[in-house]
Order: sequence, then C-alpha cells, then structure tokens
Amino acid sequence: MPLELENISILKQESSLFDPLTLVIGPGEVATVMGPSGCGKSTLLSAVSGSLDKVFTLKGSIRLDGQDMLSLPMEERNIGILFQDDLLFPHMDIGKNLAFAIPPQKSRVKKNQIINTALKTAGLEGFANRDPSSLSGGQKARISLLRSLLAKPRALLLDEPFSSLDQTLKKKIRSFVFSQIKKMNIPALLVTHDPKDCPEGGVVINLNKEDNLYA
Amino acid sequence: MAHLKGQGKTFIFPVFIMGSFCITILAGLLGTLLPSLNYLPVIGHTQISLKPWLDFFSYPGIKTSIRVTLFSGLATSFGVVSLAFLFISFFYGNALWKFFEKILSPVLSIPHAAFAIGFGFLIAPSGWLVRMVSPGMTGFVYPPDWVFLNDPEGVSLAIGLVIKEFPFLIMVAMGALGQLEIEKTILAGKALGYQKEQVWLKILIPRLYPHLRLSIFAIIAYSLSVVDMAIILGPSSPPTLAVLILKWFNDPDVNFKLMAAAGSLFLFSMVGLSILFVFFMERAVCFFLRFRITNGKRRSFPARFKSIVFFMVAGIIFFTGAASVVLVIWSVTWRWQFPDVFPIVWTLKLWAKGLASSFDPVMTTVITGMASAFIGLVLTIGCLEHDADSKKNQTLNYNTYIHYFLYLPLLIPQITFMAGIQLSLVILGMDGYWITLVWSHLLFVLPYMFISLSATYRAYDTRFTDQAMLLKRSYPSVLFRVKLPMLLKPVLFSFAIGFCVSVAQYIPTMLVGAGRFSTITTQVVNLASGSDRRAIAVYALIQQSLAMIIYAVAVISPKILYYNKKGMQV
Amino acid sequence: MKRLFLILLGMIFLSGFSQAFAQDWDKIVKKAKGQTVYFNAWGGSQPINEYIRWAGEQVQKKYKVRVIHVKATDIGDVVSRILVEKAAKKNKNGSVDLMWINGENFKAMKENKLLYGPFSQELPNYRLVDTENKKTVLYDFTVPVDNMESPWGMAQLVFLYNTKNMATHPESMSDLLLFARNHPGRFTYPAIPAFHGTTFIKQALYELIKDPRVLDHPVVLPDFEKNTRPLWDFLDKLHPFLWRKGKTFPASGSQMLSLLNDNEIFISLSFNPNSASNAIENGELPDTIRTYIHTTGTIGNSHFVAIPFNSSAREGAMVFANFLLSPMAQARKADPKIWGDPTVLDTRKLKGRDKALFDAVPKGIATLTPKELGRVLPEPHVSWVDALEKEWLKRYSK
Repeated sequence: MPLELENISILKQESSLFDPLTLVIGPGEVATVMGPSGCGKSTLLSAVSGSLDKVFTLKGSIRLDGQDMLSLPMEERNIGILFQDDLLFPHMDIGKNLAFAIPPQKSRVKKNQIINTALKTAGLEGFANRDPSSLSGGQKARISLLRSLLAKPRALLLDEPFSSLDQTLKKKIRSFVFSQIKKMNIPALLVTHDPKDCPEGGVVINLNKEDNLYA
Repeated sequence: MAHLKGQGKTFIFPVFIMGSFCITILAGLLGTLLPSLNYLPVIGHTQISLKPWLDFFSYPGIKTSIRVTLFSGLATSFGVVSLAFLFISFFYGNALWKFFEKILSPVLSIPHAAFAIGFGFLIAPSGWLVRMVSPGMTGFVYPPDWVFLNDPEGVSLAIGLVIKEFPFLIMVAMGALGQLEIEKTILAGKALGYQKEQVWLKILIPRLYPHLRLSIFAIIAYSLSVVDMAIILGPSSPPTLAVLILKWFNDPDVNFKLMAAAGSLFLFSMVGLSILFVFFMERAVCFFLRFRITNGKRRSFPARFKSIVFFMVAGIIFFTGAASVVLVIWSVTWRWQFPDVFPIVWTLKLWAKGLASSFDPVMTTVITGMASAFIGLVLTIGCLEHDADSKKNQTLNYNTYIHYFLYLPLLIPQITFMAGIQLSLVILGMDGYWITLVWSHLLFVLPYMFISLSATYRAYDTRFTDQAMLLKRSYPSVLFRVKLPMLLKPVLFSFAIGFCVSVAQYIPTMLVGAGRFSTITTQVVNLASGSDRRAIAVYALIQQSLAMIIYAVAVISPKILYYNKKGMQV
Repeated sequence: MKRLFLILLGMIFLSGFSQAFAQDWDKIVKKAKGQTVYFNAWGGSQPINEYIRWAGEQVQKKYKVRVIHVKATDIGDVVSRILVEKAAKKNKNGSVDLMWINGENFKAMKENKLLYGPFSQELPNYRLVDTENKKTVLYDFTVPVDNMESPWGMAQLVFLYNTKNMATHPESMSDLLLFARNHPGRFTYPAIPAFHGTTFIKQALYELIKDPRVLDHPVVLPDFEKNTRPLWDFLDKLHPFLWRKGKTFPASGSQMLSLLNDNEIFISLSFNPNSASNAIENGELPDTIRTYIHTTGTIGNSHFVAIPFNSSAREGAMVFANFLLSPMAQARKADPKIWGDPTVLDTRKLKGRDKALFDAVPKGIATLTPKELGRVLPEPHVSWVDALEKEWLKRYSK
C-alpha cells in the first residue's frame, strides 16, 4: 500500500510554493519533508488529505495503493492526520474521543474492547473516563495518535506532531508513534522543521525552491 | 472538491432567508404604500392621489409630534452610543464592567413594557422615589404637580429608552470586543505614552464601531418607532408619531387608515434619513478626527468624565433594578397610596388570580417561542455552515449581503410593514394560523439570533472539524457530535435570545395571529390599557420570569452537562 | 263575537309565531353545539375578563359552545381586521365571531357593511330588554341599532371624588371650574380622542350650549363655531388649572383611575356608575371614593355585542349573546363585587327566581341610587364626535 507523490507542485497566484516533489512511501515507512516555516509543508499535507484551500492550485498526481486520490473528496480518501496540537474534543472523555474514530461496530462491548486494548498499548489503561484537559501533554499526544489510528486510515500524515513537547517527552512519543505506524503497516508522511524529529533510516526531503532565500 | 458532503448544499439557507425576507417585507411595504396613495378599494378608494399625505401633514399637532419623535429618538441614540463608548473606554475589564457583565442577561430579559411601567412609577410625582421622602423631607401630603413623566417634550421617554437600550448595545459590544486584541493594544499604546482611555478612544473605539454599526442603526429605528414605551412614558397630546399612527390604524373611521399608511411611510423615511445622517456623520467624524487621532497629543481630557459616566451607568443599574423591585411590590399589593412608602395592605390574591388565568397564554408563548427559536437556530446554523464552507472553498458566499436582509425588519418600523403583511396574509388566506405567526416572529427572532451567534461561530477552530472529518468521514456526525456540542454555550444563548425576542412580540402577534393567539405579552399590553397596576405587575413578572428561566437554562445547562470537562468551561 | 274571533285568531297566530320562533331557536341551539366562538372584547380589566370567563364556562356547560375571549386593547383594532378580511374577500371563516362594541365602532361597521345583519330579535331573552325606558339600546350614539347588535350593558357618565380630600363636590361644569381654580392641578380629563375625554367635552357642551336641542341633529358646520364657542371658552379657562397645567393629559380613562388612587387628582370620571364600587371592592381605590353627577344629568349610552358578516360560528355567537342577556348573567354582571355593569333588562318584567336574582344584587358602597343618577342625557348626534375631536386637537394638541 504505497503512497506515491509524483511531480507535485502547489501554486498560489501562478507562483509555485516549492520545486516539484516526487516521493514514494512504502507501508510501515515514515518519510520526512523538512523545511522552514512558511515553505508550504502544511499546505502539502492538506493537498494529500484533500482539505487544500481553494486559493491554491495543485499540479501532479497522488496515488495511494495505486488509486488516484485527487479525484476523491476528503472523506473518501481515508487518510489520517496528526497535528501539532492534540485536538482532542474537549466535550468528550477519552473513551468517547476514541470511540468517535472507531468505524461502526456490531456491539458496544466490542467497541469498548477496542478502546481498552488501544489504551493498553499506550500504557494509559483505565483512562477511558478521564477528561482530556486532565491529561499531560504526552498523554494527550498518545491519545491523539491512537484516535487517528483507530479510524483505520490507509495512510497517516504527521504535521509537526512533536514540536509542542519537551525534549525528554519528545523521544518517547516519537518512538511510540513510529512503532504504531510500523504495526499498522501504513505509509506515513511527516513534515517538520526540526531534524531531530526524523525517524532513523527514513527518507528525508528538503522542501525548497530554487530561488528560495534559504536554498 | 473539499466540499464536505452536505455542507456544500448549505447555500440554500442564506438564499432562503434573503428570498423570504425580501418577499415578506416587500409585500408589507406595498400593502402600506398603496393605501398611502389613496388606493384601498374595500373602502371605495380607487383614485390614486396624494390626499392621505396632505391629510397627514395638516393633522393638528403633527409638527409637534414629529419634533418630539425626532428629539426622543435621536437623543436616545446619541445618549446610548456615547455613553456606551465612554463606559467601555473607562471601565472595560474593571469591577463595574464585570458586575455589568453578570447582570446583563437578566437586565436584557426585562420586557420593555414591564420596565416602562416600573420606571414610570418610580419617577412619577406620586411615584416611589417621591414617596420615600414624603411627607417627611418634602412636606408633600399630596403629590406635587410636576411635569416629570409624560412630559410634552419626550424627555422622560428618552431617558427610559436610554436605560433600556444601553445594555443591548453593551451586549453587542461585548461580543465584538472579544475579537479585538485589547490587552495587547493597550500595552502597545501605554508603551507609547498614551493613557488607557486615550488608547480606547483613539484606536479601539474606531475599530469597535464597525461591529456595532448595524446595531446602532437598529437602536435608532427602534427609538423612533417604539410604541409600548411611548404610550407609557411619552407625551399624550400629541403623542409620538408611532403612537399616533397606531391610533389611526385602529380608528373606527376607516379613512384614517389611509392617513396612517402615509404617516407610517413618513416615519420610515424619518428612520431612513436619520440612519443616513448618522452614516454621513460617521464619515465626517472619520475625516476630521483622523488628525486628532494622529496628533500625538497625550493629555487625558476625558478622564474627568469618568465619575459622570460612573454615576450614569450606576443610575441605569439602579433604575433597572428598582423598576423590577417596584413591580414585585405592586404584584403583592392590595392597597397602596401616596405618600406611603410601602403598601398598607398586602395580598397574594392577584398572584393567585394571575397564575390561574395565565396558564393558556403562557403555554402559547412558550410553544411559539420555542418553535421560533428552534427554526431560527436551524436557519442561523445553516447560514453559518454555508459561511464556513464557502470560506474554505473560496466559493461564492451568499452570506456577504445577508446582513442587509436580516436587519431590514429591525430597521423598518414594525407598524410600517406589519399592517401590509396582515393584508397580504388575509388575501392569501393565511392569517390566523400558528405557522404564519411563527414566521412573523422569525422576522425579528432571526436577526437577533444571527447577531448573537455569528461571531463565536465564525471564531470556531476549524481544525477540530477537519480532524473529526478525517476520523469519521460523515458531515452530519461531525456537525452534531463535535462542532455543535463544542459550541453548546453560544448556541443555547442564541436560542434564549431568540426565545425572548419571540416572547416580546406584540404587533406581529396581534396582526398576523388575527388576535387568536393570546400570549403573555398581549395580555400585559391589554392590561396596561387598563388601570390596575397590581394585575399588570403580576403579568409583567410572569412574562419576565419566562425570559429569565430560559436564560438561566441556557447559562446553567452547559455547566451541568460539562461539569467535569475543564476544556469546555472557558 | 267578531272581536272574540279576531282575538282567538290573533292568539293562534301568535302561538304559531312563538312556536315557530322556539323551533328556530332550537335549531340555532342545535347548530351551535360544538362551535367555537371567538369573542373579541377589550381585555384591560381583570374583573371583566373574569366575568367573561365565567359566562364562557356557563355556555360550555349548558350549550356545548366554546367561547374564547380574544382580548383586544382597542376594539377599533378588531374593526380594522374585519375590514381587511373584507378587502381580501374573506367572506367565510372570519377571525371574529362576536365582538363587544358601541358608538363609533358600530357606526363604522354598519356603514362598511361589516355586520352579519339583524339577529337580536331572534334571541329569546331579547324580550326582557327594557326598550321602553332605555332608548339607548335602540339608538347607539343616535345610530339606529336595527337589531344588528344585541344590548349587553348600560353606561352613564359619573364623576369620582375622594371624600377625604374634599367635603363637597361640584354640581355643574361652572362648579368644576371653580373647584379647579381652588385646587390647581387636581383635575384633568383624558386626551382626545380617548373615549372618556370625548365624553367629558360632550358633557361640557351639553351643559354650556345655549340650545342643547341642536345636538340631536347632525352638525351644521356654519353654526358649529357659534354653538361650541361657550365650550372652548370654558376649556380655555379650565386648562391652566388642570393637572400638569393642561400641558399634557392622561392617555386614557383607566389612567385617570390610577391618578385618583395616587392622589394626583381629586376628581376622576367613569362611564360605569358602579366602577368606583367595583374598584373599592377589589382594592384599586380607597373606600373613601364616592360618585356624583351634575344636576343637569349626564350622558348615558349602552354597549352591545355584534356578529361580523363573516363569522364562522354565527349560531354559537347568538347562543352566547342570548346567554349574556339572561337574568342570571345580567344580575351577576350588575353585582359591584363582580363587575357592576348596569343591566339592560327591564327588571319589572321579571318574576320569581329571576327577580330574586336582581333583588339580591347589593348596592355598591359608592354607587348612586337610580333616583340619584337621575336624568340620562342622550349622546349627541354621532357627527358631533368627529367635529369636536378635530376642533379640540386643533386647539389644544399643538
């Protein structure tokens, strides 16, 4: 189930944000796109997820598992995103946050089982009834990832997911995220400005433009 | 492409609102315009002429009536706006402001007529204030013959209106102030050596004004065309124009209807010209004051107004509170005469009678209010969803002009188009139905709901919905399970406002409902045409408590529902 | 023999008539069963509202007719609505089935053909109405009633005063002027065209005009100025001594009652001879209030209920109108503790239980005896109202 970006460029008012980008990410792999803030990393992610703002024009092709993504609306692409902020729904407890992402199940018991198993893998057993705001930053980040994965996405996009965490926490969360992606065996695309975020051995691409000041 | 399934279709909401508002109001205006040109076939007038207009302008005392109307209307608007700006500049964020914020909802829920009756009784020469010091300090055994209340110039009316409209403008301002970066701006200003008040007047108020513009116009329109408060507090010979016109509409001599139609169009033009005048004033002030703003002067001339403004706002709070207290006292009074400070005989009889006979009207009021507020909410959310959708997709936003349509019912005097609407409905055989009654209420409910909800709704962090969409892939479930529950507090508040606006409607209920729907408000106005202050007080308090209960539910229920969700308690 | 025959014939005829009459009425009662009557009536008074509710409950019990009191602030409002319905050709299922009406409103309805037609003669209880002594039940503000409205109650202008504040009361308009001079600010009357205000100036005109007989006829414009001169002279003299120096006037007769209770004014006026007693009874006025009239007598009239042309429950409305005329309903209405509205019936025609009902009605503490009420002055011709109102507005509403 590879995620293939071919000759992708994004234009705003006729000028492209970065040089055309080609990238193939295999299942379980995490590719990293690096670049300073404002270079269009997040825009690239929204192009992949399908939430690209209409002021931009997209060129090139995106395929997931051989299927063309550009012709599909956002909700049919089945691609998950993890943002820098956890974006846990404040009006639901942890269990409900997770339950929201789970595709319809036959029984409530089954759903609860899935939630409990997920919480266990993150070392957060018994957190189902907790209020999101009572969790620490690291705990929230893990729940947020779990939630994204429970929706069974075919690919995962990571938008600077670690930048709000402190150094010690960052390490732990990083390995948790990458191990989960490996376990799910889906392609993941990470954008960041921090080289320390990149997974070892993964593809790293610097997003830039020929006439870019930082180039 | 990034349209969410379903969200892309939300454009029908603004289109529906604009279309139906336009048709309704045009029908109403046409139904007034034709009679004003002497065209009303049913009473044998088919010859188009300007006679109704000539009759109108030659009606005895009409010039005084116009002058008093203009004075009380414009004095009110000017008073409310300048007091509000000064209040915000001096007191934003301090104790008085916070206190005002706390009492705002109950204050706003006081119906106009109820307030006017209470206020009138406070300031009358035989009223509570004089009673408190009589005969001890004044020697008055009989009330003095002062022209306080119902004065020929409309001063008492203007004061009453200022007290009632000021909290409304502050409420709108509170919503808008949330969008300005106040602390930062004040800090930046202070760093440049300006005082806080100076920063407000020179920078923040000019930025706040555009958010308040339409509400200020609505206040102008309201104070020029108010009927219930003008009957209670205004002059009587001649009364203000709106009262006069309503009398003509109700005159058994049907020829008066033509004159009433002309008069109501004249009133409409007065509102229009006043708004236009303010609009140009605004430009002129902009033009002349831009030098003042940038002249670099840092002296604090307005600071000495601070205590004056403090006393005026304290006065508003006092009179609003005392007017309610005096109603409560009257409602448990059997005998109360000048100069007794309190009733000499108390009773609960009036309450017993009032509660027994008000059950049906209360039910009608509640059901109509709930229905209007619910439909209003659906339409408002529909519009705002379209807003979110078009912003995201850079598609045509039908909401761009929706304000102009939504505000029409608030800017056109009710009597100018409601009588015409009644005629159209009767022609269509649609008068006297509950559903048309609800629609007529919606004309006034919807704009207020839209004003109250739009700012917070637009400020919603769409990353939550994006994330939810990626997780769930179903627009309805994202809307109903994530977005609306997160916005529960403003949504319920807007619902409460819609409900209260519906409760307060008198003219639409009478005209469109063909008199068949008796609400608590029609009862209050009916009793107000009588003399029994005690019965009026009971009904006015029932009316007020309906509004307060719904506000309380709107404020408390999110707190209960989300008592253990800290993230929702901001 | 021939005479006896004629009498017999007459009796047969009459009994036939009354039988037919009874049959017709039975039909009406039958048809009325299950109907809902929207009764549009002024709703500004709790005692009256309660009385109407009681009457509604009675006809619901007895005739299965449901009565809904549509409370109006101003019955002109209702006339307007019916007019609009006519404009829209809504000739059936109108929103009003029965309305409380008199005077100008009746005239407007009659002129614009908004009334159903003659019906009161069909009401069995109409026979009890005192058409002999109470002429105003036949001529409503001089407009012939023509059975298009059914009488409901009687009214007569009375003045209210507080005995605590004044030992004696004026007995004429000139007395009143004297009182005003001695007690500046303690009298006023409602702003024209409020009903009670107009009645006050009509009363003043009656007392001051040289030849009151001209009032029975339509206004003759060339003479209007001359005839009404004494009235305007009187008002010019009176106004500086009125409440608020005549700069402003109360908006309605009801407001006068509040002013009297607040001691702002010492003399007020009412159109119901019992209203003071009723107001004392339910605590609205102190028990030191009494009523009086001027020695010339005061203007009186009647009020009625009428059925609009497009009523959807005509039979129900007739059944209710008939009930309102019943001795039971009329006696209850006359009780100052309930409402205190004088009856339109000829109580001398009543017998047995019906008579007892009226005998049991207490006389209110502030109510004048029929003898004291004395002569009832007829309303001036209806055209005077408009002319007087216009002139008053021109002079005093500037």
